[in-house]
Amino acid sequence: MNKAFNRRGFLQGSLAGAAVATVSLAKPTEASTFEGYPDSIGVLVDLSRCIGCRSCEAACNKEQNLPAPALPFNDFSVFDELLHGQKRRPDETRYTVVNRYEIPGREHPLFRKIQCNHCLEPACLTSCFVNAYTKTPEGAVIYNADVCVGCRTCMVACPFYIPAFRYSSAFHPRIMKCIFCYDTRLTKGKPPACVESCPQEAMTFGRRTDLLEIGRQRIRENAGTYVDHIYGEHEAGGTAWMYISPAPFEQAGFDTTVPKEPILNYVKDFLSIVPMVLTIWPALFAGFHLLATRKEKLEQQKKNEGEV
Amino acid sequence: MRNFINNTPEIPIASHHKPDGTAWSLKEKLWLGLSRQDYKDQFLRNPVNWVLIAIFAIGVPLILQRYFAGLGSITHASDDYPWGLFLGFGLFGMVPLSASGFLLGTTVEIFGRKDFIPIERLALLNGLLGYFFAVVYLEVDLGMPWRLYYPMVVSLGPAAVLFLVAWHVATYLSVQIAEVSSAYFEWIGWLKGKRFIKSIAVGLTISGIILSTLHQGALGALFTYAPGKVHPLWFSANFQWVHFFCSAIFAGLSMVIVASTLCKNHLTWRCDERFLKNVDTLTLGLAKGCALAMITYLVIKLVGVAHDNDWAYLLTGWGQYFLLELGVAVVLPMFMFAYGVKNHKVSLVRWAALISVLGIVWNRLNTSMICFNWRIYQEIPHWKEVWVTITVFALYFIVYRFILYRLPILYQWQDNK
Amino acid sequence: MHTNPKAVIAAAVLMLTGMLYPSQPCHASDEYDAIEIVTIDVLADLYKPVVFNHQWHTKLAPCKDCHHHTTGRQDMDPNCIRCHANSKEATSVACSSCHSSKQFYPEQLNETRNPTLYHIDKPGLKGAYHLSCVPCHVKKNAPSHCEGCHALTDAGKQYFHLNKQAAPGKTKGSHAQ
Repeated sequence: MNKAFNRRGFLQGSLAGAAVATVSLAKPTEASTFEGYPDSIGVLVDLSRCIGCRSCEAACNKEQNLPAPALPFNDFSVFDELLHGQKRRPDETRYTVVNRYEIPGREHPLFRKIQCNHCLEPACLTSCFVNAYTKTPEGAVIYNADVCVGCRTCMVACPFYIPAFRYSSAFHPRIMKCIFCYDTRLTKGKPPACVESCPQEAMTFGRRTDLLEIGRQRIRENAGTYVDHIYGEHEAGGTAWMYISPAPFEQAGFDTTVPKEPILNYVKDFLSIVPMVLTIWPALFAGFHLLATRKEKLEQQKKNEGEV
Repeated sequence: MRNFINNTPEIPIASHHKPDGTAWSLKEKLWLGLSRQDYKDQFLRNPVNWVLIAIFAIGVPLILQRYFAGLGSITHASDDYPWGLFLGFGLFGMVPLSASGFLLGTTVEIFGRKDFIPIERLALLNGLLGYFFAVVYLEVDLGMPWRLYYPMVVSLGPAAVLFLVAWHVATYLSVQIAEVSSAYFEWIGWLKGKRFIKSIAVGLTISGIILSTLHQGALGALFTYAPGKVHPLWFSANFQWVHFFCSAIFAGLSMVIVASTLCKNHLTWRCDERFLKNVDTLTLGLAKGCALAMITYLVIKLVGVAHDNDWAYLLTGWGQYFLLELGVAVVLPMFMFAYGVKNHKVSLVRWAALISVLGIVWNRLNTSMICFNWRIYQEIPHWKEVWVTITVFALYFIVYRFILYRLPILYQWQDNK
Repeated sequence: MHTNPKAVIAAAVLMLTGMLYPSQPCHASDEYDAIEIVTIDVLADLYKPVVFNHQWHTKLAPCKDCHHHTTGRQDMDPNCIRCHANSKEATSVACSSCHSSKQFYPEQLNETRNPTLYHIDKPGLKGAYHLSCVPCHVKKNAPSHCEGCHALTDAGKQYFHLNKQAAPGKTKGSHAQ
């Protein structure tokens, strides 16, 4: 019996050992920082190619079953629309918009398509307290309306002003945001509807790492055509959707002040003090309490002794 | 109310028994010992109530509109300004003003300053109601208010700052309910409950300090998610939480001064001798705390500017606005507090407290709305949004007053030894 | 948008038969050999087919303005010559023989992965057409807005939500190059 027990113990021990070995083998391969999923997909937008036909807006509207637009998609007066001095932005009726920018010194204007840039470390995701956002290995940042509380912190956090809120609904409000056609197309190996609809191939769809190569090649081989920068390579810690432009990016409405690191980095300072407060405060203030009330206690004791 | 008290010796109720020895029923306690008619008369005679009625007459339909036609029906539904007045004022403004609970709790329970006891309960109640109504404002603002508990049980995102705020505010709210409940237990005459709360008071207070430090700071840290959106002078990745925490200290203390002043002047019948005799001295004591917290705040505010090298912004229009805010909302009341404490000028201190309370609300509105999106444009809230904000505040005022009228906050319960 | 592979193949075959003489690969092609009419109906669900008068276009511009190369002729583009100086004669000049109508699908994505591949940035057929046609149309004041070449079908009108406002053929201000 003793022997049997030993054998079983040995087996258990070796199993446990194997488990430990697996874990300890697995550990070193985990990077301490996350650089994004290696094979994730992205899109490279070339502003020099976009002609502002708004086909992508129409394609998105159809693919995502969004509400009918106020004006037809081939009405180009929308490029003159301004709200609070701002050009159009994605809102609860549209996941993507194309805006026109007159560039000083250029004969023709530039057009910029705006949609979720699908950050590698999305600010919306890291700020969400119910985990409504997911960065999929394919590269899309998707949203789960079933757990969303509607606090709209993601909208505050997004450096690109992308998530919009369905304010018009009392009972079914939700965040409205480009999801890279994740469920209907991306997971089936298809490019998103906007990319497929583009006549000019202003959008190149591919693995993010390949897109960076393509972008650099395009900048290099068309010397003088492009600004030597891929917007989104580092902005906000890197985005899946990236842009190359023949004019300085700020002239085409890009926010070039967006940090070149994940938004989360700005929050880490605070997050790091949390464990400190949680562990040190109780001891510290209990200590204060004991010190502050020591005299009182001594007096109490004295009194008690006197009574005795 | 004053007239009734002069005419009826047994009110205000301050013990379980009428002078003739019979016990007050709970119903009588609720009606303040008045008949329905008398209660109605005193209610209608008070001009404040007419103002409240006017606010509610318009505000309640607006709140219903919000719940049945969506947030967009009473706000500008801005995607650029996801947080409007409900959070800018209601959450970011109310929470620092409610720091009073943990501050006075710490002073009395931890540092053993028993001399602050006469004002401790007012501070605790002020804290509890402030937090509670911050949650009410949140419920007005949340897209799906019926999912308020989701971050607690349904879907957890523990790495988010707001998760911390949610949990800490929820826990702290229960801590504060426990702290204030001893007044309630006295009022209903359940001494066992009171004794139990007293036995865990130190534990409650310490957990209150932890939770307050973290969520006051976390409210500031929420804005560190928007480094490009909040103006650099109001933004500091490293110090934002310290700024919010430190300013909450003088905000909470000032709020107690303001509340105690209102009670002293307009609720005199409900205050007992102990409160009225001590309130001036205690006000000066609180003012001292305010002045110290303010100088600390001022220093770390400047450290924040220096750390991010934001000096150049001080020369811009935004910089002047920043200096105006610091000057009017911090430096001015700070000197008033200091001068008032030194020369025993209680009324000066009280004005300083009012300035500092309004100043802290101004600061939170600056951070969350006015200096938010400083690169693009400034959002002016819809009048309905302003009205609903005022309506909820009026509700806060009514509940606050309702409790002060009844529970032993400003007076000591007579027979519960 | 949905591409109809059959239509693409049809267009390609049409171009191929018009342009190529597979039996005589050494014979250099020139504008006189060119096909006359190409009907492009890849997106025939949203747009009516485009009838492209190729022969007419050959009189307006030399082949090289649109084609990288013709059959049997040495490539002249300095960038291409870097590798193709000694390449064999091309056997095809049809756009569709290099530019795929099925762009950005997994097969193509995997192709881009090849580390030795230079042509990682090859537009699809639709992109190649538009990138080639539009700048010239803009330069020569030829129709350059969408409906100048592509008449919308009923499905297309619905797609662009034209039902509300009868404003077809609104011209775009201008084009990027």
